[in-house]
Amino acid sequence: MARALSVIALAATAIAIGAASPAPITTRQGVFTEDQAAAGAQLYATRCAMCHGKMREGTYETPSLQDRFIANWSKAPVADLYDYLARAMPQFAPGSLKPAETAQIVAYLLKANGLPAGAKPLPEGGPTLARIMLEPKAPSLSAKAVPRTK
Amino acid sequence: MAGRSQFGLSALERRALLKGSLGAAAFAGMQSYASAAKIAEVTAPPPMPLPGRKVALVPLRVTPDQLIDVKCCIRPFRAAGPNLGTQMIGDTLVVHNYGHGGSGWSLSWGSADVALGKALSVLPKEIAVVGCGIVGLTTAVLAQQYGLKVTIYARDMIQRTRSFRASGSFTPSSRVALTEPAGPEFGDLWERMARFSWKAFRTCIGLPGNPVEFQDNYGLSDTPPQRRVREPNPAITDSYATRGIPFQETEFAHLDDRIKDIVPQSSLLPPEENPFNAAYASRTSHMYFNFASYGHMLLTEFFGRGGQFVMRDFHGPADYAKLKEKVVINCTGYAARDLWQDKTIIPVRGQTGWLVPQPDSHYAVRYKNVMLMSKADGVCVMNNNSIPEDLGDMFGVGNSMELPNPADIQAGLKLIAPVFAPPVGGA
Repeated sequence: MARALSVIALAATAIAIGAASPAPITTRQGVFTEDQAAAGAQLYATRCAMCHGKMREGTYETPSLQDRFIANWSKAPVADLYDYLARAMPQFAPGSLKPAETAQIVAYLLKANGLPAGAKPLPEGGPTLARIMLEPKAPSLSAKAVPRTK
Repeated sequence: MAGRSQFGLSALERRALLKGSLGAAAFAGMQSYASAAKIAEVTAPPPMPLPGRKVALVPLRVTPDQLIDVKCCIRPFRAAGPNLGTQMIGDTLVVHNYGHGGSGWSLSWGSADVALGKALSVLPKEIAVVGCGIVGLTTAVLAQQYGLKVTIYARDMIQRTRSFRASGSFTPSSRVALTEPAGPEFGDLWERMARFSWKAFRTCIGLPGNPVEFQDNYGLSDTPPQRRVREPNPAITDSYATRGIPFQETEFAHLDDRIKDIVPQSSLLPPEENPFNAAYASRTSHMYFNFASYGHMLLTEFFGRGGQFVMRDFHGPADYAKLKEKVVINCTGYAARDLWQDKTIIPVRGQTGWLVPQPDSHYAVRYKNVMLMSKADGVCVMNNNSIPEDLGDMFGVGNSMELPNPADIQAGLKLIAPVFAPPVGGA
């Protein structure tokens, strides 16, 4: 685990050195606002939940938008996810989301996956969004997941 | 050898045989040739329906001499439902995936998906799976399908685990949790796992060896069947809350109604369509697993995808941190009770007898709390009768005796045998 995290840290450092421009931001640093996420939740309920499930649980055929979804989109700019949603979702009406709506849904998905809100809104595309790297939340761990009762 | 088939029969002889004109001796001789089963299919006359009935099934042979095996196992039941929690052991992330009660097979894919979701949160490239029962092996294969390199560490291959001592049918809410301790959110999680698993099993239907199959399942009774109503017994004041173990059936979570849109339901048969010697019959269809081909299928995929299997034992949680993989899924079933000192695992004993395989009688039947299920590796017999009263879900709770008791199976065979016999007097 420590090893896994240190690999991530090393990768982040490498990117920072290579880029020589502003240090990369990650989704752990509060890259969207609560308002965006709340608006995104409403949009999700009407545009996404019918396929991906009320709790983003997915089905055997439709991807869940938790856990493995975050893993699959990690180590890449949030812009990738944003662009994909803008292009391809919802599948029955691709391209129908307005830029502000796309950002709101991305904000909602980040929040629903345990990432923190912040002061600045998530940009609606553009170079700033391309600099934000999607990093999963730190795993919530208990010292003891196994209860020890008599 | 012109004119003779691969079995050494001339075309004429084969035609005669198929018409049934070669007689019993020639037919018996044929049994030693390769396609005996196929020929039996053509030549065996259909059974006669019982008097007053229009349909007939080949009766199951349930005499004591047919019993070839008795298997016993302990379901790893947890009041709160399966443990899918995560924790650190040293520098190692352990994701638990154990404690599925009587639903390990049925929830295996969905539960693996949930556990792997948690493991993927740290973006591993390789993981370890500890345990190679149905939950461990399924988790390992699904992890490979999700792109991970997987090593299984276990004491035994699936064939020697408790999973192979189950009955092996789709029963996703069989002793899976207690309603109160599992909490209101468990139903949604359970439903997600059950639906995911159902879809995954469907992809196995029709594969060579029939790892997953459906068959008709008859419920028989001497009196009109009634839907089981569970009412709490007010005379029983103890419960899981007071004693750490359930005291009555109503404490158990019964969740099957949540997926009745996909799982076939039972319906009463009109008398002429009841093939058995019992006054009432209802019929449903159920999905079940053939252990041998299912295990083979999973192992073939696991090794085919480059999986590694390391035979070893674990003596405590600290051993997990010594593995080279830093993300480990713990699929140790009942063994977690000692290995992880999880005393919330309540043993629930179960026992199955196995009769000689009878593929011509491809159905399941239940009568007087005895169940027969005709599977590829034999006819599974369960006798769930208890004295002095029917315990339902409480049957076997708290019992960790894992030695088989063949007398119970023989008693069950005796109870169910009359349904295959013609009515006394032939009327």
